[in-house]
Amino acid sequence: MSADIQNDGDSKPASTEATVSLPATGIAVVERKEPPPEKESDTQRRSWIVLSFWLIAVFIGLPIWWNTTTIYRANLPLTQMTDWADGKACEPVFPLRIALDVGSLPEQEAQNLLRLTQHALDDLNDFSGHHLRLQLAQAPTEATVQARDDSNVALTIRLAPGDAAHTASSSLHPHLPILDVQYPPNSLPTANSPSSGLATYIATQLGATFAEEQNIISYLLETSSITPEHRPKGISQEVVDTVSKRMTRSLKYSQTYHLSFSLFTNGPVPSSWDIEAAIDEYMKPVLDMLRPIHDFTIDTQVQLYASPGVQSQVLGKEDLSSFINAAEWPLSPSIGGAPTVNFIVYIGNQTIGVPSETDAVETSQSWMIPQWGSVYLLAPPAEAAHVSSETLKQPILTFTSHLLTLLGTPQSGSLPLRLSTLARIRSADLLLRASSSLGSLARLTLALPSISIPSNVADGVVKTIQHLELACAGLGGAKSLEHARIAEAEAERAFFEKSMVGQLYFPDEHKVAVYLPLLGPIGVPLVMGLLNEIKAWKTRRNQKLKAA
Amino acid sequence: MQPFSLSSLIPLLTFLVSFVAASSAAPAADYHEQLNLKPLPQNSLLASFNFRSNTSLPEFEAHNFRFFPRSLGQILQHAGTRELHLRFSLGRWDAETWGARPWDGTKEGGTGVELWAWLEAESDEEADHKWLTLTNALSGLFCASLNFIDSTRTTRPVMSFRPEGDHPNTTMANMHLLHGVLPREVVCTENLTPFLKLLPCKGKAGVSSLLDGHKLFDASWQSMAIDVKPVCPAGEECVLQIEQTIDMVLDIERSKRPRDNPIPRPIPSHELKCNTTKPYHADDTCFPTDSLNAQEWTLNQIFGKSMLGKCPLTDPNVPPVCIQAPHTRDVFTSMDVQEVKEPGNENQRCYLLPSNEEEFHLALPFMPRDGDRPKTDADEFVQPATPLLYAERSLTGHGQEHGGVQAILTNPSPDAEVEFVYMESLPWFMRIYLHTLKARISHRTGSDAGQTLRDDDDVIKEIYYRPFLDRQRGTQLEIRMKIPPGSTVFMAYDFEKTILRYTEYPPDANRGFDVAAAVITILPSNSTGGRAARMSNLRTTGMLLNLPTPDFSMPYNVIIFTSTCIALAFGGLYNILVRRFVGRDEGPEVSLVKLQKRLQEAAQRVKERVQERLGVAGKGAKKVEGKTD
Repeated sequence: MSADIQNDGDSKPASTEATVSLPATGIAVVERKEPPPEKESDTQRRSWIVLSFWLIAVFIGLPIWWNTTTIYRANLPLTQMTDWADGKACEPVFPLRIALDVGSLPEQEAQNLLRLTQHALDDLNDFSGHHLRLQLAQAPTEATVQARDDSNVALTIRLAPGDAAHTASSSLHPHLPILDVQYPPNSLPTANSPSSGLATYIATQLGATFAEEQNIISYLLETSSITPEHRPKGISQEVVDTVSKRMTRSLKYSQTYHLSFSLFTNGPVPSSWDIEAAIDEYMKPVLDMLRPIHDFTIDTQVQLYASPGVQSQVLGKEDLSSFINAAEWPLSPSIGGAPTVNFIVYIGNQTIGVPSETDAVETSQSWMIPQWGSVYLLAPPAEAAHVSSETLKQPILTFTSHLLTLLGTPQSGSLPLRLSTLARIRSADLLLRASSSLGSLARLTLALPSISIPSNVADGVVKTIQHLELACAGLGGAKSLEHARIAEAEAERAFFEKSMVGQLYFPDEHKVAVYLPLLGPIGVPLVMGLLNEIKAWKTRRNQKLKAA
Repeated sequence: MQPFSLSSLIPLLTFLVSFVAASSAAPAADYHEQLNLKPLPQNSLLASFNFRSNTSLPEFEAHNFRFFPRSLGQILQHAGTRELHLRFSLGRWDAETWGARPWDGTKEGGTGVELWAWLEAESDEEADHKWLTLTNALSGLFCASLNFIDSTRTTRPVMSFRPEGDHPNTTMANMHLLHGVLPREVVCTENLTPFLKLLPCKGKAGVSSLLDGHKLFDASWQSMAIDVKPVCPAGEECVLQIEQTIDMVLDIERSKRPRDNPIPRPIPSHELKCNTTKPYHADDTCFPTDSLNAQEWTLNQIFGKSMLGKCPLTDPNVPPVCIQAPHTRDVFTSMDVQEVKEPGNENQRCYLLPSNEEEFHLALPFMPRDGDRPKTDADEFVQPATPLLYAERSLTGHGQEHGGVQAILTNPSPDAEVEFVYMESLPWFMRIYLHTLKARISHRTGSDAGQTLRDDDDVIKEIYYRPFLDRQRGTQLEIRMKIPPGSTVFMAYDFEKTILRYTEYPPDANRGFDVAAAVITILPSNSTGGRAARMSNLRTTGMLLNLPTPDFSMPYNVIIFTSTCIALAFGGLYNILVRRFVGRDEGPEVSLVKLQKRLQEAAQRVKERVQERLGVAGKGAKKVEGKTD
């Protein structure tokens, strides 16, 4: 140091002196000495300590951390679920039995006709989803037809010999599922003939009767989640268009529907209506027929001073969608789970300007709002304050036909046939819906590994599959609708499980923020200790090897 | 002449026919509406709207709704509700100035939303379940947070409420009364719209056309009430009655402000009313007088809308508008309006409206206080009746731990005692000490008049107390008291404040927690006939309770703090266990010492180089100097 100061003004470089002067700072003056050799027991003890810390961390710390932070995921039968969604688990086939009531024909001829007609049917019908099976009717009276209503006989063909001069003719019974066929007596097939005009005729008639149902079921299969190899052959584009137009209008299936009838008037009158009598008279019969498929509750209301959403005198097509004044009209859905169908009678002077082009049901006074209900414009009645049940006849009849459309009833055929078709369509629909819900749930489970799956979801899935199997086994029967309904409800409940919808979301930054302050200061000494220990162990081994 | 009279007759005839048809189809008693106006002292006006519609029980059961709103009817049926009372209130009724409450206080609630209902249920659990359904459904219907009425805000009053409807004895046995309050709910326009939707005339005609959210919620005090109850008039069929009531006290000056320019502006100095008797009164100083301007208003001005005729569904013989003012008060109305005076009631005037849909106007002109015939306050308004009881309640005490509540109850009557039930439903985080409940009394008249307060155990007759359970239910306290004439009772109790869990605090925790108003039910007295023959109600104001509020960044601090502690303890312990201790000169060079050494070497090198440069430069300079020399 002193040398430094003396050399200050000097030009002589002081590099050698400087290195000497370094120890003057007094830090590293000490001479390096080897530490005394460590005792064997100490080294061993240190290894044990490091080892035990690691054992505790791995065998106690990790399991505790895993158990407290892991998300509960119940076991779901994923392959089974995807099988259902892909249509591998169930072939949607409707075996429809059709009874052939041959009247007075002898047994032999009847069997012959049956065989030929079945042949003709099988030739005609290339749709695998529908199996029309003919059988001979036992006791062909109207009473038994009604009594066997719940059996699988979808239609009875009543053969009766008619005029010889005419060709065969057929007509559907308006109130019973019966197809009356009048045939010329000479058209009966002989015992050995390979084909018969009558058999072909009956087969064609049957095909025509069930054509719409076939189309709808094909459409349902087409639009479902079922993979192409598992569904029957496709249908033409125009059929898809017409059916999809009709199907998108109809409401989602439910056991119960609330029917809400509302009378809206622009001014203070009329303020009362004979709605109860009108419904009893004009709508009740149809509702009673629908009972096996749906339940209905009815409420009515009168609302005065209700101004529509569109004020113009003549309503154009685009006005119809905004006519309902949703902000002011009290059309809140009914309380309780079932969907509400709204029927509105609006009393005012407005008319519809656009003639309906496609749909014959729409008159110039009413229109249907898909999946919601229907509106009927009624001119103010002569008796200003009261709307009589007679005035309500036309609106209620219109509403009834709209209701059938909203429920998804097919449009051709007699009413009983349409309703039994409705039951089959609905069970197919529910079956496919439940299957696709299962598929979605399976995909969701796989896609979100951090979502928790409570055990009641697993229960719901098991229940769904169980009821789906039952429904699939008895497809076309009366019980299948019930099972499909339960399956669908269970599947929806499992999919929309509350605790799954609001899944806990921890972003990775949060995890780092929570774990780093703890794991950093603990993990570093642990890891360093382990590394040092391994190093020491290696050197010891090398020394031993050298010594050896 | 002949054809003219005929042609004028025809519309009249058709009108008559339609009128007869209307009245035959709609029985007169099915719908009723009335507006009662009552000028109050200090430039205020009480407007009471009352709407009442009936439906027969069979019609109701069959879901056929005509005047009874369908949306509400369905909720009642779904939740098994036999009687329902719903209140939306805002502001404070100034009993000192405005006197007794409208409808004896039975149609008002505490600040916020109040709901009580009698539900038909077999067990308490079923009743709770139905109550949950009811609150959730009503919450959707009225756009209010009624779904937040959970078990902690629900009580089952024992002494305070009685069913108002006529219930058959069979259902009476299974009826459960549940009561819930939301003191924090801010009542506003979104609650009025669904309220108006329930009315048959929907605010498009009749007195309801005057209702407007801007004026209603700008009032000094307002209360909207919905009561549904079965009524069985003697000898007639039972009906289900829905009564909707809106009472509001309007500040006339305030509500006369135009709607497009509602900002209050200072009054020009020459229009100020000053008290000239004050010694400091001068041109630039002014002490405002007590007696404000004389009342002068029209219906359009104060409601901001005009009344569009009358609702055609009402009985044409019931006047839709009435005003309670001294007969000396000038009142002008529009043409064709017929004034009706009830024989017994001097101060009430009612107005029958013609059946056309013309606007109805009503004006109370300015009445000069000087001049030839000076008018006084007595000509402006009827002196309000003294209420049966004055009640106020406030928080006492200080600090974050303890507090107290004091209720001051005054019986103003000089000769009649008053008996009532005082009900508090307190939140669970207010842990009250019932043993500290004390009533002290001071008499204004009698031998010990004006003396200091003294304890009196005679005042409290009966106590019903249901203690709180943490996070499950609140405290329910019902006290039956009797106050002698002309006396004031000070009732006080202490409580302890709870520290809540982190997530239980609302977003604005420092604002405080609202405590529901106390409900006072004045029991009908049979001794002094007349005045208190019926049950009447009274509510105190709500309270704002301050609880100790934590620092909400707490969880993160806790994480960091505990992690640091663990790290310190663990690191120290581990190092002591694992390290080998050797002498200073024996161990390997510690990396820090190595670094220091290297730094010093580097510094030394830099120093040397600098010195070298300096040395070379110095020599050069000398050389230059030498040359010049």
